[in-house]
Amino acid sequence: MIDKRRARWVVGTTFLVMMLIPAVAFAAEEVAGEWQSYVAKAIGAGIAMAVSALAAGYAQAKIGSAGAGTLAERPEAAIWIIVLQALPEIIVLLGFVAAVLIVNMPVTPV
Amino acid sequence: MNPDVATTTKRTAPAGGDFGYSNARIRGMRSRLLRRDFLDTLIEGTDMKKLVQELADTEYGPDLEEALIMGLSAGTVDIALKNNMVRTFQKVLGFLNDEAAMLVTTLLGRWDIFNIKTVLRAKQMGLKHEEFVEGLLPVGSLGPVDLEALSSQPDIKAVVDTIVTWGLPFAGAVREGHAAFLQSGQLAELELALDRYYTEWAASRLKRRGVNARIARDVLQVQVDISNLVMTFRLQKEDVGSIDASRFFLEGGAVVTADLYDELVKMSDIDEVLNRLRGTRYGKVLDDVAMLFLEVNSISVFERALEDLLTRRILGLAKGDPLGVGVAISYLWAKQNEVTNLRIIVKGKAVGMPIDRVRKELILV
Repeated sequence: MIDKRRARWVVGTTFLVMMLIPAVAFAAEEVAGEWQSYVAKAIGAGIAMAVSALAAGYAQAKIGSAGAGTLAERPEAAIWIIVLQALPEIIVLLGFVAAVLIVNMPVTPV
Repeated sequence: MNPDVATTTKRTAPAGGDFGYSNARIRGMRSRLLRRDFLDTLIEGTDMKKLVQELADTEYGPDLEEALIMGLSAGTVDIALKNNMVRTFQKVLGFLNDEAAMLVTTLLGRWDIFNIKTVLRAKQMGLKHEEFVEGLLPVGSLGPVDLEALSSQPDIKAVVDTIVTWGLPFAGAVREGHAAFLQSGQLAELELALDRYYTEWAASRLKRRGVNARIARDVLQVQVDISNLVMTFRLQKEDVGSIDASRFFLEGGAVVTADLYDELVKMSDIDEVLNRLRGTRYGKVLDDVAMLFLEVNSISVFERALEDLLTRRILGLAKGDPLGVGVAISYLWAKQNEVTNLRIIVKGKAVGMPIDRVRKELILV
């Protein structure tokens, strides 16, 4: 059973980070000068990429572990396991897209 | 039963609380459990040879191949089934994570008590080694070699001495129970000491935080409740009157507390006991078989109904948390159930039991 406290912590942190990324980017747009804006966008893009990569890694670790268990008993399920193992890569791709969008946001100095 | 069993056995299991690997593997193994229609095919089969042919294509194939070197008979098929069960249990214990292995070995400890009680009863009845050894199931901490050594002892005292010499965790309980047995001449004293030891030992091991420990604790509590209820029914049926019934009470149940137990054993008949239990988790299953009890007048009816309830609860654990110990406990019970059913079919085939009777004897398929 997933530990409720840990689950709450993960959901809370994810929510916070999700709120933080656009906030950092928009704050850069609103108040900062040109170079501060670039720095803020780089930080936002970095967070988007890092968190999504960590999340995908976590998911792949869990799927890989369960997949190894399944393969030990049912080798015929190998194709399905490979597909499932690759699925979390989508999370990184989405993080990458978010990072690109953040970096490419037009800079409008105050 | 040995608390160090997880460390003495070579384990390549994931440490900590990773249930992903083990539960996925167990689900794979579960998919190979035999289905009802396959058991029907075995029951309806013409003879033992046909039954062995059918079973050879299943998980039991390698064990049958090994055992049938000694010739085709109900006994050798029975050995193969038992070997398969022991091998499967050891395999599962080998890849469970540390927490799950501890919880599962605690619950499997009841098989050590069951085996020792079987040996003690056999010694008291003066049975020969080969007459009772097939009833032993080495799935607890006592392996086949240990049980072979115990069952080869000439009498009860020698069995007790061997257990004490080995320094097994329940040696103290066995020694005390043996002293009581020598005074009263009742083997029940020794068995009671073992039961009491196991419930206390298991309850202390399961007294930890977490959902998994709670699942295992719930299983243990239902087992204790069932023991107490069966004892209540026995005392009611025997109408023992002046005997101090509270001596047979086992602590640690969920529903049957010491007060309820005292109340139940003081009741005038079984009807009253059933009325009192109405509204508890055991009420409905006992009510359902009350008529059957009146027909056959045997408390084994209630015993079977309660055991079925426990089995159903445990099998249901697999449908609950996919990342908890329930999946492992449920699988091991399902496997044990399957082997018991196959052994019933084999025995039935060997003695020419009618098909309907064999079907009736099967447990929850």
